[in-house]
Amino acid sequence: MAPAAALDTDVAIETPEHIVFRHKVAGPSRRFLAYLLDLVICYTAFTVVAFFVVLASIGVSAATDSAESALAAGVGLLLVVLFAIQWVYFAVLEAWVGRTPGKAALGLRVVSTTGRPIGFRAAALRNVLRAADALPLTYTAGLLSLAGFASMATTKKFQRLGDLVAGTIVVVPERASVAAPLVLWPPAQPFELAQLPDDVRLDADERQAIELFLRRRARLGRGREMELASMIAGPLAERFGLRLPDPSRVLALLYDRAANAGRVDAPPSSRTPGSWR
Amino acid sequence: MAVTDPQEGARRESRRLVSALTERAFAGRRQRDWDQLDSLVRAAQGKGLRTLLPEQIALLSPLYRDVCADLARAEAARYSAPLVDYLQGLAAAAHAVLYGHNRGRWSVSGGRGSSLRVFVEAFPRAVRRHKGAMLLAFLLFFVPFFAGLLATLDDPGFAVRIVPEAQLRPLVDAYKEGFSSGRATGLDAAMAGFYVNNNVGIALRCFATGLFFGLGSAFYLVQNGLSTGAIMGYVVTHGAGDNILTFVVGHGSLELGAIVLAGGAGMALGWSVVAPGDRTRVAALQATAKSVVVIVFGAAVMLFMAAAVEGFWSSSSLPAIVKRSVGGAMFVLVMAYIVLAGRGSDAAADAERAEGIDRWT
Repeated sequence: MAPAAALDTDVAIETPEHIVFRHKVAGPSRRFLAYLLDLVICYTAFTVVAFFVVLASIGVSAATDSAESALAAGVGLLLVVLFAIQWVYFAVLEAWVGRTPGKAALGLRVVSTTGRPIGFRAAALRNVLRAADALPLTYTAGLLSLAGFASMATTKKFQRLGDLVAGTIVVVPERASVAAPLVLWPPAQPFELAQLPDDVRLDADERQAIELFLRRRARLGRGREMELASMIAGPLAERFGLRLPDPSRVLALLYDRAANAGRVDAPPSSRTPGSWR
Repeated sequence: MAVTDPQEGARRESRRLVSALTERAFAGRRQRDWDQLDSLVRAAQGKGLRTLLPEQIALLSPLYRDVCADLARAEAARYSAPLVDYLQGLAAAAHAVLYGHNRGRWSVSGGRGSSLRVFVEAFPRAVRRHKGAMLLAFLLFFVPFFAGLLATLDDPGFAVRIVPEAQLRPLVDAYKEGFSSGRATGLDAAMAGFYVNNNVGIALRCFATGLFFGLGSAFYLVQNGLSTGAIMGYVVTHGAGDNILTFVVGHGSLELGAIVLAGGAGMALGWSVVAPGDRTRVAALQATAKSVVVIVFGAAVMLFMAAAVEGFWSSSSLPAIVKRSVGGAMFVLVMAYIVLAGRGSDAAADAERAEGIDRWT
């Protein structure tokens, strides 16, 4: 929930259902690693094919006494494989499943700027234009190839030239596992409830800050937890008239009341006894 | 987020009416549907939409719409960020599955119906759509070609300045020897593989570097035209002119034609950056790329054919007269295909209209 003008690498995509979701755009270093991995995969495959070509030509030459011819045919095959590595592998895989194995390993996916899977045409375009991105040296997913790097650096969505022409972006689609809602534990004690006002109003920033703190606090040391909590607990406790010694507890109580009071199925701790039912 | 707090109104209402659920209750009630959508999406991502049962597919879209509604509700009710993130991720993944364009996914001309037929007709149509750029590419290749050829015929030393002598000598020897004895089949295959890797690679690079105001394409066209002309001139001056003509005539129309077409597509791309008209440069570039990409595919297919011809036919021991007449016929066929094929074709025209490709160069 970044504010509108945040310096962020998210790209917002609106669906026909008028739902907006954000994709994190992948940066050059992650894409470089994915590319490197793809190269390793491709050239390993190439080596395996080359090995079998040599084996086969030895077999053929033993049978027909024309080793040179068999080896030459194998070289022809290897050159076609080399061609496929350079020009076919990326385009076909990206059109087919949206990612190459290297991209999959780094959690990347190629989508159109409207967030849809890309077809073969866009996949082929962005990969043929790798030759333009590669200038003046060689293609390295934007790190050493100046043209691609300049393009990535000046576009908001880290698009290299091929992305720009094909209308694609490389994103990191993150699937969060569902998080358990925050529960106040131990439940609010009577003396705490007596101090809590019925209506706790926190603005969005305050709520988010407290929420992030509450989710993190289990992993913090006790001293650090107190230190962080006391940064905002003081003013908040004053605002809502709470007098409790533990700043972390103050934040938990206020958050629980703000998030749950008045809602269906609210836990007992967020109600003042007898105020409403 | 909105400035007004939607929760405030809800809270005021809640003293009397049923209000929003707590996050826990909300998640508890909806979790079953989320899990179901999640497993369906994962199955569709892993094994493809086609492996799902009909009733599962029927479930997919209502579940997706429900999750979209849940996401909107969760954002309005200010549920915690992890829950909103989870719903966003789920909605995004389902969106990617549901809105994937399976129809025409492998089409390069954006067509419907028989993909091969559309491609066969859309390719020459696209070439004719960009005839200005194609003519320019033609000149950029053939003017240096004839310049190199004539300069070398006049003074064989010219070729040595364009192409290293170490490359020229073996060529002369090879062409002097002729093809009467043929070549080992294995060597044919090796050469065909070399032509695929080398020539298609050059054509694709020639197209791609056109992005830089057409300069890259122009460079490749001039350089290839000049060196091809110089090599031919050099071989001719060394007394193997008949042989080299017999050799190149078979695949020349496909190979040189494809380089010119790929370069022309690159020039069109570059021109859209130089003069984008009333669109932004990126928009013009994307529109042109959409329109010319079928040319690049066509050129690649022509080069595959040329590689087969060059590897297995041009070097064979067939009589020169056969090679020359077939080569001549090929030349006429290629020209006729580019100039005539797909005129008034409904299928290709439909495909272009569906893509929003209008007539502009």
